[in-house]
Amino acid sequence: MRVAFVGKGGAGKSVIAGTFARLLARHNGEVLAIDSDPLPGLAFSLGIPLSDAPIPDEAVEERAEGEDGPRFRLRSGLTPADALRRYAVEGPDGVMFLQFGKLRGHVSGMIRSQFAFRQIVAGLPEDRWSLVGDLPGGTRQPFFGWADFARTIVVVVEPTAKSLLSARRLSRLALAEHPFEALVAVANKVRRPDDVDLVSERSGLKVIGAVPWDESLAAAERQGSAPLDAVPDAPAVHAVAFLLERLEGVT
Amino acid sequence: MRVAVVGKGGSGKTTTAAVVARTFARHGLSVVALDCDTNPNLGISLGVGDDETERLVTMRESLDERESEHAPSWDELVDRFGSDAPDGVRLAVVTRIQNPDPG
Repeated sequence: MRVAFVGKGGAGKSVIAGTFARLLARHNGEVLAIDSDPLPGLAFSLGIPLSDAPIPDEAVEERAEGEDGPRFRLRSGLTPADALRRYAVEGPDGVMFLQFGKLRGHVSGMIRSQFAFRQIVAGLPEDRWSLVGDLPGGTRQPFFGWADFARTIVVVVEPTAKSLLSARRLSRLALAEHPFEALVAVANKVRRPDDVDLVSERSGLKVIGAVPWDESLAAAERQGSAPLDAVPDAPAVHAVAFLLERLEGVT
Repeated sequence: MRVAVVGKGGSGKTTTAAVVARTFARHGLSVVALDCDTNPNLGISLGVGDDETERLVTMRESLDERESEHAPSWDELVDRFGSDAPDGVRLAVVTRIQNPDPG
């Protein structure tokens, strides 16, 4: 499974993606969770007690003059599998975690990191590795190089006018960019029975999951704990498990 | 007074900025609200509605497609390409939507 979560900032991409990745790893082998948000937060939701898991600059080399190919690549001798072994951090449930989008200074570092990201995801055999991406928030960046790996795009949508407008913009950009196999929505922070209908009507997307507003999840987020560790039986966690089942049916 | 509102996505920047802008305007200040977000939603929180918010974005995009020597000035962005929001706030979308930075 290769799925990317997009949505307005604060819609709940990281919490859903992190929980989703761990649940997927429990019964579906190898999972790489990818945080490409410049303001990363996926580690918290995975339950990994660190804020950074970068591909270091020295793992990437610039193309020599006169050579063909992309401008940067993993340094010679370092295969995508090697890079994963060396730089990915193993989290709970065996999820591997890499962070690519963090702004650590000048934007040039991120360009190197993005080339490494493309090469690594392209080098992981699809029958063995599942990829779960937590993409940059908002509409400008996610389809600028971070979504290509995905077969399925999940737009995380709150039942608010701003989140719905962002979802429509994201949906337009996704369709303009790629023939993704599936472009679907998950309604998040659902409080009222008609919230899911609102998301479905106003986003124009098929809603394949509804995650309820959940005080216990909010409490876990307040502490910076992963929902699966702090409140494994929370309704929101069960909703993500159901979303996973649905997606396994769709893809 | 010149105020910028910043923060993580979803923390309430847009809502805060809109309430502050309209409150100042109600107190008699002449207020320009600048949407500097790459996902511009300030129009919604100011109360101009979905369609007008999208119209401003579309216009901003078409301005970006022009030659750079014809790029609009700040005055033009606000006076010609802005929109009137409630309480007399003048709204303009000032972010370049296209040509994203990498990452």
